Amino acid sequence: MSALRTILFITLLVTPLHIEAQKRVTVSGHVRDAETGEELIGASIAVKESGAGTIANQYGFYSISLTPGFYTLIYSYVGYTPVTRPLNFLEDAEVNIELTEAAQQLEEVVVTAEAANSNITSLETGATKLQISAIRKMPALLGEVDVIKAIQLLPGVQVTSEGSSGFSVRGGSPDQNLILLDEATVYNASHLLGFFSIFNNDAIKDVKLYKGDIPASAGGRLSSLLDVRMKDGNNKEIAGAGGIGTISSRMTLEGPLFNQKGSFLVSGRRTYADIFLPLARDTAIHDNSLYFYDLNGKLNYTLNENNRIFVSAYNGKDVFANDFAGMQFGNNTFTVRWNHLFSKKLFSNFTFVNSKYLYNLGTPDDAAPRFTWLSNLTDYGLKADFIYYPMPDHTFRFGLSSIYHDIAPGKIITQTGAEQNDTTSLASNLALESGAYLSGESRFGRSLSLRYGLRYSQFNNIGEATLYNYDDHYQVIDSTEYGKGEFFNMYNGLEPRLALNYTINDANSVKISYARTIQYMQMASNSSAGTPLDIWFPASPNIKPQLSNQLSAGYFKNFLDNKLETSAELYYKRMKRSIDFAEHAQLILNQYLEGEIRTGYATSYGAELFLRYTGKRFTGFASYTYSRTIRYFEEVNNGDPYPAPYDKPHDLALVASYDISDRVSLSANWIYSTGLPFTLPTGRYNIEGNLIPLYTGRNQYRLDDYHRLDFALNIQEKARSRRPWTGEWNFSVYNAYARKNPWTLNFVQDSEDPNLTYAEMTYLFSIIPAITYNFKF
Amino acid sequence: MQRAKFNIALLTIGMFVSVSCTEIVEIELDSTFKKLVVYGTITSDSLHHEVTLTSTTDYFYTETPPPVTDASVSITYEGTTIFLEESEQAGVYVAPEAFRGLPGTTYLLNIADVDIDEDGNTETYSASTRMPFIIEADSITLSRFVTPFFSAYQVALWSGDPEETNYYSYKLFRNGNPINERLADFIVQPDELYRNNYASGLPISFLTDDDEEEAVFPGDTVTVEINSITENYFNFITQAQSEIFGNNPLFSGPPANVSTNLDNNAVGSFTAYSIDRVSAIVPLPAFKK
Repeated sequence: MSALRTILFITLLVTPLHIEAQKRVTVSGHVRDAETGEELIGASIAVKESGAGTIANQYGFYSISLTPGFYTLIYSYVGYTPVTRPLNFLEDAEVNIELTEAAQQLEEVVVTAEAANSNITSLETGATKLQISAIRKMPALLGEVDVIKAIQLLPGVQVTSEGSSGFSVRGGSPDQNLILLDEATVYNASHLLGFFSIFNNDAIKDVKLYKGDIPASAGGRLSSLLDVRMKDGNNKEIAGAGGIGTISSRMTLEGPLFNQKGSFLVSGRRTYADIFLPLARDTAIHDNSLYFYDLNGKLNYTLNENNRIFVSAYNGKDVFANDFAGMQFGNNTFTVRWNHLFSKKLFSNFTFVNSKYLYNLGTPDDAAPRFTWLSNLTDYGLKADFIYYPMPDHTFRFGLSSIYHDIAPGKIITQTGAEQNDTTSLASNLALESGAYLSGESRFGRSLSLRYGLRYSQFNNIGEATLYNYDDHYQVIDSTEYGKGEFFNMYNGLEPRLALNYTINDANSVKISYARTIQYMQMASNSSAGTPLDIWFPASPNIKPQLSNQLSAGYFKNFLDNKLETSAELYYKRMKRSIDFAEHAQLILNQYLEGEIRTGYATSYGAELFLRYTGKRFTGFASYTYSRTIRYFEEVNNGDPYPAPYDKPHDLALVASYDISDRVSLSANWIYSTGLPFTLPTGRYNIEGNLIPLYTGRNQYRLDDYHRLDFALNIQEKARSRRPWTGEWNFSVYNAYARKNPWTLNFVQDSEDPNLTYAEMTYLFSIIPAITYNFKF
Repeated sequence: MQRAKFNIALLTIGMFVSVSCTEIVEIELDSTFKKLVVYGTITSDSLHHEVTLTSTTDYFYTETPPPVTDASVSITYEGTTIFLEESEQAGVYVAPEAFRGLPGTTYLLNIADVDIDEDGNTETYSASTRMPFIIEADSITLSRFVTPFFSAYQVALWSGDPEETNYYSYKLFRNGNPINERLADFIVQPDELYRNNYASGLPISFLTDDDEEEAVFPGDTVTVEINSITENYFNFITQAQSEIFGNNPLFSGPPANVSTNLDNNAVGSFTAYSIDRVSAIVPLPAFKK
């Protein structure tokens, strides 16, 4: 509670009650891309005379209030040519600015200091934004460019298993990342068991990962927020882009609607490995299905200067099926947003979200016996967010949100014969997760800025429900029934967030942040790679919410006129009521799931070094993390501490791209990390002809270190006047030196001599080349 | 449920076959102190009343497990104690020939005169188990099951299910010879599959044509020995099998020791199960018209 008091104190201190009664004029508007009309999230607006400034919000909107007078406003955005507007402000004005992408042909670094040192001046510690255009140049597995794979290269972010879309942020579990796609929660961001993420790069405008200082507007996960925003669609002209790749093809179409008052975007991607199945020699697999697809759609319409509506939808699915069994899983998200300006100083956004994750698997319809297994999770949510810009040095945000969760963990229908049709369902979990927040950003003079926020979160379990009560040995004693609609359990908590930036000068700053986060929903996943069958389960009278306190501090320094950005950050995080599972836990289709859960605490600490160079032809970054994450659970590993499953002390990524000519660029990644912790036997015994391993401690060994080199070569075709599109070839090689990185280690009993055993390592990928052709019109 | 998981595992692991490869690697493993290994069974039949004692070894040990000899092994039930004699096979202790177990009875195993940690002092070990009631199976049916991937005879069971919660294990025999003798091949099913209903044609196994050890032909006799087993023993088998089959980052949790009902740091299992047997003759194929 003392943290809360501090926050309140600071809030009172900085709340501008003492504001002078001087008249102010407000300049507001949107910052957009000149070519497509897309809003530029995070574009910076600086007032040259005073050094004050602001940042365009998630909808590209900015507002800045000044005393009347003559000012020079500088609008800038990384990768775009800045625009300077000298203006005489005597009354409120709307200034909409369009920035032009710094063209390749110019070949000069046009980014000015104001934008280029945003890493120094911004408040965020542990927040990293990747340019979609930079991600596109990186080498990718099978040429499928993927934002999540790019995020995994950042400091403090660890891949959970080779090729997986799961990631661990500063020692957190993969289910501790809040992944939002246009504000709708994505519960499983993986396709094809994680080798690809559900984010189709062509439809994505902006990706930002918050790993330390999660904004007070977001909650419900301990470790990070991955905020993914879809493109709004070109509102100037019809445009398209697409690609034909080794495993999939993509197509995006966007354009203006209603006299440029609105725009649309439709984007699709589908893999086509199965299209070739009928050609296979083995006739047995001709009818097999094996594919995934993604569909993104978005519409927006500007009613008038104060009102704008956005509708976005995503649908994606993975399908595997053969003659015996089939499986489908996928996400749907649907978001309706209404941007409303109450005044030039008060921006608001109202959101309705619906998100759904579901899977089903089973035998074909004509099979006997027939078997079907279904599970789904549905969210309905409402959010209201407000941004108030009273003065250039103070911005306040506040809002409310509420999400209704309906989890149907499993339903099984078995049909053993015509006479037997048996349905077993696990009871649904219903819950309401709500939050309210207030936060502010204030600047004091040129060097000190502060962000302070407080989030109140509340979680209610709702009937109809059967609550099982457990004894000390996790055996069910009895159960309690709750009626339909009954709110039978509540948790709540206060989550203070604080960030401080002390800018020493244009090239040096120090940042400190503290964040408390509470998580009420978690995933029952016991394996390192995770599967589509993992289900989410809520906090309940038996499972208390997880809580994390994180402190981080960083030093940021730029060199060479901001071409070289460097940072060093330290963090310490303590996670209370962390979740692990009983030995040999049965996590799916288990009505007594809560009896398999063990709680304890975990600590994580680390140092993260980041270095990014943005030059004329050469760009690249190096990120290195040293971190440790240790779990302390009384009932796991005999109460002895053990490394978390994603504990990889050393993690290094080198990413570089070099423009050989105007049209040709070469890029490479090299990744190195300590091997994953692993449990190996220290003895064995023989029962009925088989050898059973004997273990003495969990995660006491490590797999071999992981390292890999990837290359990509991008060649843009020469523009041809007769052809309406421009194309680009991408050649990539994944794991160029064919490193056999261990995915798992098993022991095999010799078939001839049953007393002999071997250690057998499984690796997934050898060298994998791929070709992709991308086009734009 | 187990079967469903197995199907998924097959499907998804199947997908990896094209991309994943394995390689034998050399690794060094630590050692740990020796433990007593007990595997003992009592049945409602006249067979299988024996307790095998061995000791644990380093993981890469290359010999047969060292037997624990000269132990004093006894079983106590309802006020009676019987002593098990060490047989010709070292470390295997057998009950007197006349002994047979009774469903509903609790048996207590006592092992003494063992010095597994070689400190000069002997230790004692014990475990107890209650024999579940017999399930009286009506019959099995053998039907041809042909798929593009494999062809087999499917063995299906027709049987009632007693009131009490119980677990089953099936041992299959071809013309009297055991098919699934090894622990890894044991077939176990939880009660949930019956749920106190009559099991009408519950599939319990496939006898595939490609596997010499289990392929059957028209005229062969297939016998299924249905064991009604304890929950402890069911857990022991499923956990042991998951450790034997190795782990996969997609489906396995962290490796863990297999649970045991023995005390004093011993590993293994002491269990009692009841037995019923049903047989059927592999029918001639039905010709399609």
